[in-house]
Amino acid sequence: MVRKIILVLSFMFCFLDADVYKNNCVKCHEQLPVSIDKYFYKYLLIYSGETDTKNAIISYLKYPAYETTVMSDAFINRFGIKKKSKLSEDELKEAVNVYWQKYKVFGKLK
Amino acid sequence: MLVSKSLGIDFHQSEKQTLFRFSALYILLTVIIISVFSFIYFELQKDLMLQQKKSTLQKYSKELIENLKQLHINFDKTQLYPRSDKFNSAIYDSEQKLIFSTSKSKLRLDKILYLENGVIHLVNIPESYYLGAMFIVVEMKDDKKWLKQTKKEIIIFGGITFLFMLVIGYVLLRLFLKPMRDAINLLDKFIKDTTHELNTPVSTIVANIEMIDKSSLDEKLLKKIQRIDIGAKTVSNIYQDLTYLALGNQIVSNDEDVDIEQLAIQRVEYFTSLALARKVTFSLNIIEKTTLHIDKFKISKLLDNLLSNAIKYNKIGGEITVSIKYREFSVEDSGIGISEDDISKIQDRYTRFNKSSGGFGIGLNIVSTIAKEYNLTIKIESKEGIGTKVSVSW
Repeated sequence: MVRKIILVLSFMFCFLDADVYKNNCVKCHEQLPVSIDKYFYKYLLIYSGETDTKNAIISYLKYPAYETTVMSDAFINRFGIKKKSKLSEDELKEAVNVYWQKYKVFGKLK
Repeated sequence: MLVSKSLGIDFHQSEKQTLFRFSALYILLTVIIISVFSFIYFELQKDLMLQQKKSTLQKYSKELIENLKQLHINFDKTQLYPRSDKFNSAIYDSEQKLIFSTSKSKLRLDKILYLENGVIHLVNIPESYYLGAMFIVVEMKDDKKWLKQTKKEIIIFGGITFLFMLVIGYVLLRLFLKPMRDAINLLDKFIKDTTHELNTPVSTIVANIEMIDKSSLDEKLLKKIQRIDIGAKTVSNIYQDLTYLALGNQIVSNDEDVDIEQLAIQRVEYFTSLALARKVTFSLNIIEKTTLHIDKFKISKLLDNLLSNAIKYNKIGGEITVSIKYREFSVEDSGIGISEDDISKIQDRYTRFNKSSGGFGIGLNIVSTIAKEYNLTIKIESKEGIGTKVSVSW
């Protein structure tokens, strides 16, 4: 019984996380001409590891700046620096976790 | 043969031991030194080979990075990891977590260039981490040509060095042993010279006593002359024993058929004066005539020693029986006898069983040496307090 409850709760949290990512990240990026995965690979190109990449994304979402962006000058000149995220620390973490899981390279190479 | 060795001081043995110990230590040190230099040379050759292969591996690494770059750009279209027939590769992130590998072995990231299990590895860190790859490892099989060549060189040069060191060791050994050899030779020369110098005066005394007309002497003077005769013959015997020991191997044997009966008569006559001093009487018991093909000096020495011992260890007024039969003769005394335990030790040099009698205790050792040389069988039968019988058969 306990196992079932834990399983159900896990699914619920996953969906909730997915919702945070979907509602707060994908929603805006869909309106941009550059797909959301391209940002991920830009971060990967500079930060390599999971911890560093996640921390860099969260840091940028909290304090977006010209100096810390991974995007090219041409991109920034055209689209500018994004607005500071209103999401809480936990929500940011949840969203970035989903983002990592969705686009990470581990297990995808053949 | 060295006199020192004949006298039981085995300098050759000590020399051999010194030689063996020095050689063992020297060879051990030589092997250790050669091994250390071989190891250093091997490591240098390995490094040289790795440096030669480094440029090839760097080329492969560059090729892989270029392919990873393309894959990074087109990752949404293809996820096929770039492979090559020439090399295997692996990529790791900044946390050293494996992203992907075509290598079967477990790779190390703490070294840039290394050889492990016959595979050469190069770890490269690219400027941009395509697909998150911070560490790029490329590996290729070692053809082991350098290893064969290095082994060959080590065996050849190691062998030459070892032989060279052996020659040097031999020269050093000769230098170290020279003082010991000189001391042995000096001692040997001293003993030979001393025994030689004894010969002339002793022979003169014995010969002159024999020339004296004993019938013209009064009783007192005759006794004195007899004592001088006994003393001179005793010294002569000791001299002959020492000469035999000193020149043992250098005496050329002139083997001939020796009539044992005639020899026994001669030697008994020679020892009569010595025996009379102890009131010991001789009796000859010739059962059958016999001959022995042997060097006359040696068989005389053998018989002399048996007779001398029979006199020496006899009781005052005792008897000595010399028996001769076919292929055997024996000397039997009525002396103190020897215990059963001591019979086995009796032929050892310097063994004397009655400290009251003089001598060096080398008599039976000479008997044993001569017997061994001519395959003569020595049988000692003895009963304490009754007497001893020494039989020689062939």
